[in-house]
Amino acid sequence: MEAIRTRIELAGQGRSSTAGDREAVFEARDVSVFYGDQRAIDRVNIDIYQRLITAIIGPSGCGKSTFIRTLNRMTDLVPSARLTGELRYRGIDLYGPRVDAVEVRRRIGMVFQKPNPFPKSIYDNVAYGLRILGMKKDLDERVEKALRSAALWDEVKDRLKDSALGLSGGQQQRLCIARAIAVEPEVVLLDEPASALDPIATSAIEDLMHELKRDYTLVIVTHNMQQAARVADMTAFFGLEVSPDGNRQGVLVEYDETEKIFTNPSDKRTEGYVTGRFG
Amino acid sequence: MTEPAFSLRTSGRLRRRQLVSRMMGALAFGAALLAVAVLAIVVISVANRGASALSLDFFTKNQAQGFNPSGGGILFAIVGTGVIVGIATLIALPLGVLVAIYISELAPPRLARVARLALDITNGIPTIVIGIFVFTLIVAAHGQSALAGSLALAIIMVPLIARATEEVLLLVPSAQREASLALGVSRWRTTFSVIVPSAMGGVLTGTTLAIARAAGETAPLLFLTSLGASSYADANPLHPLQSMTFAIFIYAEQADPAFQAKAWATAFTLMCFVLVTSLAAKLAMARYRKKLEG
Amino acid sequence: MRELYTSELEELESLLREEGQLVDRAIRAALNVLDRDDLELADELIAFDDEIDRRYLTIEQSIPSLLARQTPVAGELRLVLAILYINLHLERIGDYCVTVAKLAKLAHGLPRDRDVLEALEEMGERCREMLSTGLEYFYARDFTDSKALIEMDRPIDRANRKLIDRLIALGPEEPQREWAMRMMLASRCLERIGDHAVDIGEQAAYLVRGRFEEFTDASHKTPRATS
Repeated sequence: MEAIRTRIELAGQGRSSTAGDREAVFEARDVSVFYGDQRAIDRVNIDIYQRLITAIIGPSGCGKSTFIRTLNRMTDLVPSARLTGELRYRGIDLYGPRVDAVEVRRRIGMVFQKPNPFPKSIYDNVAYGLRILGMKKDLDERVEKALRSAALWDEVKDRLKDSALGLSGGQQQRLCIARAIAVEPEVVLLDEPASALDPIATSAIEDLMHELKRDYTLVIVTHNMQQAARVADMTAFFGLEVSPDGNRQGVLVEYDETEKIFTNPSDKRTEGYVTGRFG
Repeated sequence: MTEPAFSLRTSGRLRRRQLVSRMMGALAFGAALLAVAVLAIVVISVANRGASALSLDFFTKNQAQGFNPSGGGILFAIVGTGVIVGIATLIALPLGVLVAIYISELAPPRLARVARLALDITNGIPTIVIGIFVFTLIVAAHGQSALAGSLALAIIMVPLIARATEEVLLLVPSAQREASLALGVSRWRTTFSVIVPSAMGGVLTGTTLAIARAAGETAPLLFLTSLGASSYADANPLHPLQSMTFAIFIYAEQADPAFQAKAWATAFTLMCFVLVTSLAAKLAMARYRKKLEG
Repeated sequence: MRELYTSELEELESLLREEGQLVDRAIRAALNVLDRDDLELADELIAFDDEIDRRYLTIEQSIPSLLARQTPVAGELRLVLAILYINLHLERIGDYCVTVAKLAKLAHGLPRDRDVLEALEEMGERCREMLSTGLEYFYARDFTDSKALIEMDRPIDRANRKLIDRLIALGPEEPQREWAMRMMLASRCLERIGDHAVDIGEQAAYLVRGRFEEFTDASHKTPRATS
């Protein structure tokens, strides 16, 4: 059980987060994504570490959403999408020939930009995955646990049978998080989870992420870099590049501890982006 | 204080606009009133003409012996319509929904277009032609039966259910599908646990329309079940059963006004049957929606 | 809301509080060194400054990171800036205490004058009072009584003048003269400690009021504001 060190303590030792001594959950080697013949992302090399929050920032069109969707094979849903290079999850090639995408998504959950609860009751939303995936034992306890982990239990415990659509935006998003973690994934991917929410709800989600970090590896895409600064341990900046044939593609410009990215980035493009000098 | 360069005061233009607005409102109201009035007139006039034949016996007894104009009822026809349409629905509903799922989720765009076209054409085939088709298929070899009638009606119903379902399936936001898939649920489970329940409203509407249409069909049943049907209430689908529509035809043909009244009464019963089905579907939908949206 | 951020701020403030307490002990220790002419204590004090410096460094290194990551605004921004400056002032006070200790060591064995030592004690204790008052205002976020802080400066001035007069009166003869020079420097250090304590009070005022005001300085006897 590693001690949870505060940033201040670490600062006293002249360090920031402890990414270095962690296991890599995802390893991407020269990963490129194509839609048909168009290259959307060019040769990304990145290691994503266990039980840290990794943020992906960058201007629109830089491929951040595309990249995060490769991590749980949601890119499969786009018929023209294909991936080259190697993307390993705990050492297994995610795009290998005998890998079942459905199994992948069981272990790597996802929360989307716009909250999308099912038009069912609050309870049934959380229980949905559990029932279908055969985790029906102690259903009530599992649902409660998931709702507690998503910091939603106290607000809904007396109305579990009410429709999920009656909740506020922030609550709905937390419900979607509860739904995702109910099936006990190892990783939770969040694609701009707070961009449709007001600042108070956003703050609640950010606090929640800090809590979830204890048990899950989190990867978050955000167009709000202050959010990345507040929340993430590691930050990856994707920039836009125009290739010789006029094609716009996304590239990983810099990937480092968040503190470094926001106090002293190595790449000028990163500095330009975080200071808001260019989109 | 200088006058502004433009004026906001009322002018002839405004009065004209208000007049037009009021006229359009009145026209729209009139049209709606007309539509409701037509329905009311039809229902009332049918009920009126059939009033003399309506009685408890009418609904609970079979055709009186000796083709007696007074006494007896249409129980056999009620049961017959019920069985024929019921079985047809049992066949058409799952078929229609599956076809809709195929078109909206699985088919490549070109095949989907072909399938849609096929459904639309089927919808337009004169029902008597469908009747002949089923006749040569089944009745020629095995004789008349309610089942054959159900089959023909099912063929008529499928395009209606499929198209209505497809419309609603397309309306289900893809975010729902994504959410389910992201949990590690397979495509088929996603379709049946999330997409179809969300589309229930459209499915019910389509089914109700289809039932109404099927219940009103006479021509196809001619070959398939009407001519051999008995006037005793029978629920066995392998026997030829009588439909209310054919009963109306028979009674209307008779010279005796008592029979004519029976025809009107049967028509009224048939209308009520469709009305009740409609209302039941609407009620079910309202309760379902209430459960969903809280 | 923003629990991690709140706890970071609390941690910084609590480190600052520790530093403040250490600095207070350092001033008292420096005064004791002067009073008792205690060489061992002087050495301990000099080593003790490392504790102060450790906290100073930690706070100093945390703040840029905090600013970049949490983008504090409004009261929290003023708080972070106040912490930054108070941290600096505390560290300087600590360094002056070390200087006093070193001066005392150099002045060891020389004939001492009771009046001078009393004046130094008076100055030192007033400094401690000012420091703890300024810090209290900061912790309580309450700056209703700024006059009190300004008033505390006067006794220090008075003691200082009395001390200078006394030192001059000691005359040009050795070894008194050497002792006088060293004590003069020591009084200079205490005066600077007093200035830093006032600065800390100004930071507390800035935090509470949102405006930065200088209470007094050498060129202006009455307080003025930069709005």
